[in-house]
Amino acid sequence: MKKSALKDISSIVIRLTVTCLLAGIIMGLAFVLTHDAKEKNEQIRDERVMYSILGYDKKNPAPKTMSLHTVYRYILTAGETQTVAYLVPVESNYSLVEVDLSGAFVRQIALDADASKLRNEGERNSVVQDAVGSDVESRFADQFIIVMNGGKRTAYILDGRYPGFKTFIRVKMALAADYSMLGFEVLEHEEDPGLGGEIEQKWFRGQFEGKSFEQLKAAHVVRQPMPDDLRAAIIAKKPTQEDEKIRAAHVGDDIYALTGATISSRSVLNGNQAMVRKFTYRMDLLDQVIKTQGIKVTF
Amino acid sequence: MSNELSKGALISRGILSQNPVFKLALSMCPAVGMSTTVMNGLMLGVAVLFVQIFSSLTISLFKNWIHPRIRIPTYTLTIATWVTVIDLVLAAVFPGAYAQMGIFIKLIVAFAIITMRLETFACKESPSDSFFDAVGMGLGFMVGMVAIGFVRELLGSGTVFGYDLLGFKPFLFFILPCAGFFVVGLMMAFFNWIEARYRERMAQKS
Repeated sequence: MKKSALKDISSIVIRLTVTCLLAGIIMGLAFVLTHDAKEKNEQIRDERVMYSILGYDKKNPAPKTMSLHTVYRYILTAGETQTVAYLVPVESNYSLVEVDLSGAFVRQIALDADASKLRNEGERNSVVQDAVGSDVESRFADQFIIVMNGGKRTAYILDGRYPGFKTFIRVKMALAADYSMLGFEVLEHEEDPGLGGEIEQKWFRGQFEGKSFEQLKAAHVVRQPMPDDLRAAIIAKKPTQEDEKIRAAHVGDDIYALTGATISSRSVLNGNQAMVRKFTYRMDLLDQVIKTQGIKVTF
Repeated sequence: MSNELSKGALISRGILSQNPVFKLALSMCPAVGMSTTVMNGLMLGVAVLFVQIFSSLTISLFKNWIHPRIRIPTYTLTIATWVTVIDLVLAAVFPGAYAQMGIFIKLIVAFAIITMRLETFACKESPSDSFFDAVGMGLGFMVGMVAIGFVRELLGSGTVFGYDLLGFKPFLFFILPCAGFFVVGLMMAFFNWIEARYRERMAQKS
């Protein structure tokens, strides 16, 4: 009796283990086979979102003269001191510009790497780590894209993540050269469907478009319904001149909260404000350093 | 090995006399939760069809190696594996559709209809019979979901496949989850009524 029970148990254990192993192998194979395609899809989606917040789509493609320049920001820690390093595209290559926390230039390291190699986070991290030396710890912080057209900066594209009602909200945002808001898109969020989830909606996001840096900083969330004409103007598929006029008249308004989701609305406003504020500070600082050091960046 | 139904009968049984939604009343939660539009119903139906076929085939092939005491965990593992594979493949091949139905796919692991088919059919019958049974049950579920989705989408938002047919929204109520139960119940009654009348007529003829 005892012996047969033991036999049963061992047989169950072995069979379950084998089943799990087989299942793991099948899932692993499927993952390996589909991983590249999935990553490519995400990249395509990312790019489409980027063009759409810049206002380009299939019918209205981006001009050929437009070029994108990606800057990666790294945090360097050497013992007690922390510095910030910007991986910037220079004339023929990439260069690492190190700046301390007060904004003073520390050093510049030329790197031998092309843009496609740096796009992969793992390879980029090892390139940066090799450049700064083994006694300095480097950590990737974020990245932004500078959009150029005809020798002038036309827009900045930033990726951001800030706390929402429950977890993080991931967004992609476009700023004009004068730091006014071109628009933003919610990439990922876990707000309640039907309530906070409405932050995805065009009529809500559209309120931020066109706001200058000062207007965005001064904006609050108000618990009032959005005026019907403004709402219609924002969601219009083919905006008329009249719509543009209505939006221009309301551009200085506060943010109208989503009904039943004031916290989500406020998180988005606060998050966007913080993102823009931090970015403008960093960008001005980087520009200053580039100018005084005469670094020949491509943007 | 005790199965004496033909392949065609196996398929039609899943769609008609043993329809998972209207006859067996299994997997009602997803049927109610996701059948708000025809498209949602169709997508979920297709995913269930594939998971059902793969799982039935796997269990039927390995039925002699499955220890009877742990058959349910084994079924769950099998279903979870195929759901994951289909989830990954869809994400890679149809990113557009996946963005809409991604969260539904993972729920298929807990679908009663799939486990039930493995327990009552696939673990006893040959792989080929299991395959046709799975096709029938999967199609039956799909037909049920599309039918419920059609009624709810038409009555709730006045559209079908996203195309505006009525131009207005007759009853917003039909989009809400609780209406799913009403629609399923009413359709179940309707199909039973049709079947009863059909039987009556057949009896009268003979």
